[in-house]
Amino acid sequence: MIKENCKLAIISIKANKMRAFLTMLGIIIGVCAVIAIMTVGNSMTADVKKQLESYGVQNITVYMNPVDYNAELSEADYQAMSLKPETLHSLAKQFDGRIAAIAVQSQAGSGTVIQDGNKANVDINGVSAGYFKANNVKLINGNTFTEFDYEQGKNTAIISDKFVEQLYGSNYKKENMLGKEIEVNIDDEYMNLTVIGIYEFKQEGSMMRGNNKNISTSVYIPLKNAWNFTHDETIFDATVVAAEGEDAIVLAGEVKEYLTNLLANTLGDKFIVDAYSNQSMIKENEKTMNQMTMAISMIAAIALIVGGIGVMNIMTVSITERTREIGTRKALGAPDSMIMLQFISEAIIICLIGGIIGIILGLILGNVAVHFMGYTPHISIASIYMSVGFSMAIGVFFGYSPAKHAANMNPIDALRYE
Amino acid sequence: MSNDILLQARNIKKSYYVGTPNELEILHGIDLDIRKGEFVSIVGQSGSGKSTLMNILGILDRQTSGEYILDGVDITKAPNKALSSLRNKHIGFVFQTYNLIARTDAIANVEMPMLYAGISEKKRRARAIELLEMVGMGERMHHTPDELSGGQKQRVAIARAMANNPDIILADEPTGALDSKTGRLVMDIFHELHEKQGKTIVLITHSNELAAETPRIITISDGNIVSEKINNREGVA
Repeated sequence: MIKENCKLAIISIKANKMRAFLTMLGIIIGVCAVIAIMTVGNSMTADVKKQLESYGVQNITVYMNPVDYNAELSEADYQAMSLKPETLHSLAKQFDGRIAAIAVQSQAGSGTVIQDGNKANVDINGVSAGYFKANNVKLINGNTFTEFDYEQGKNTAIISDKFVEQLYGSNYKKENMLGKEIEVNIDDEYMNLTVIGIYEFKQEGSMMRGNNKNISTSVYIPLKNAWNFTHDETIFDATVVAAEGEDAIVLAGEVKEYLTNLLANTLGDKFIVDAYSNQSMIKENEKTMNQMTMAISMIAAIALIVGGIGVMNIMTVSITERTREIGTRKALGAPDSMIMLQFISEAIIICLIGGIIGIILGLILGNVAVHFMGYTPHISIASIYMSVGFSMAIGVFFGYSPAKHAANMNPIDALRYE
Repeated sequence: MSNDILLQARNIKKSYYVGTPNELEILHGIDLDIRKGEFVSIVGQSGSGKSTLMNILGILDRQTSGEYILDGVDITKAPNKALSSLRNKHIGFVFQTYNLIARTDAIANVEMPMLYAGISEKKRRARAIELLEMVGMGERMHHTPDELSGGQKQRVAIARAMANNPDIILADEPTGALDSKTGRLVMDIFHELHEKQGKTIVLITHSNELAAETPRIITISDGNIVSEKINNREGVA
């Protein structure tokens, strides 16, 4: 029965190709818009999520913030607000076993390295022991800093493979850099460092495709060395890595509570401790993106409803034109339900074909847009199922009333219709 | 005798605009019995009410009053839903204007009543081929109505009317749109169905000439049966 009805519907659609196409256009545009928007939205969400995850899903960032951002802060205020090494030690002790690492970093500045006639831009980052774990930095050659390096603030450095490439080209054997001395020029102050390790440079999110050649990579040095260089030991944020199996969102709350109590005296009513887990940021981001996608999709849904009204209109015309056919079918013994099914099938098939064309166009449009915006395309399968279902539902909803009208025709009146 | 009565109409009246000042009674109380295997013609001028009578006999329309029993089923009391099934299984229509479904080939047209009867695709196809061959349309089974001549269309329509092996074939001016030669061909098919298969056929016509071919002739005028005659000179004149 369903097969027969589909055949009938296709015959009828084929007989009026242009009309069927124009009717479908509304559905095509509506579905195309929904799919394109969903594709862009999903790609953005997925990219941002991936980026946040690359910072570590178990990571919690602890911030020291002034209560009033507009308040003038004195040097003493900054010193008071700064995270002290002993605070971090107490934190590690308090949450022993639940925290995998605590990392802090301090920028010593940006500079250039000129060696054998080649130039590379670098950012000098003073880091603490937990940094490499917290930020997922992978060493490919050499060693990381020793306890001794950290304590003494030695002039050792870990550089990126990219940096070696910038200086000596990609054919240069990276391990040849180990033990070499580099001279970094930071605003005409010079820092001499011995390379002890090379890490794998990861390009941050596809959003920031800059000039590859002049891109600035980090050179890591022990935190103490950076402090010695800048004479500034203030730290306003730290990364706490929750241990495997720990709920980072819960732990973030506990860390915040612990630090707030611990530092109650120094914080006073001027400063505040905040702790956010990357997971909650990922969730927050997803929520915002979903809300945005939903809002825009609502507008696209209006286009779909307008398209549905077009379908209703054309079904009414089609049924009026075929009144005698309906009369004949009734004379031959077609029950009302079959007449109804025939025309609803036709409406559904029009909508379904329109929906499928819309999905294909929407995917193309969405992917092109995503490409130009610099994200990784991320197709939402759910939105495709939803569109197919929604187009069929429009077919049923807007085909129902004309089909019902056809089914209720009096056979003799329909047969006599001129 | 009474149990081989297929169709029994008692005091059938049909009015239009019922309850309004311009109420119009088309049929004034028709009594009619048709037995199994009869070939009856109902003859009358246009406007005599013969088509209205046929529509009621074919359950395409309901009478205003009176009783109509088809094959033991009281149509007056049957719910609307049952009527389509009655039309499907008990009645085969042949219309003056053929009323084939456009853009649908001959075989699919013949299959249509069987489709509505819920017969399997395989059986439908076999039966449709058999019927189209019977009416001499075996060669043109896959042609759509716009590729067929009037006579060919009417032959397809007869095959379609026979699809569910109905008790009765109602033919409303079946040769009205055909030239005399093809009209003859169509009439021959009806005679064959009557004689060889014992089909009950009701032929509605305005032509006394055609009516004269049938064994029983009922003349209708101004909504009343005015004469009824048994034709002894059976067969082709």
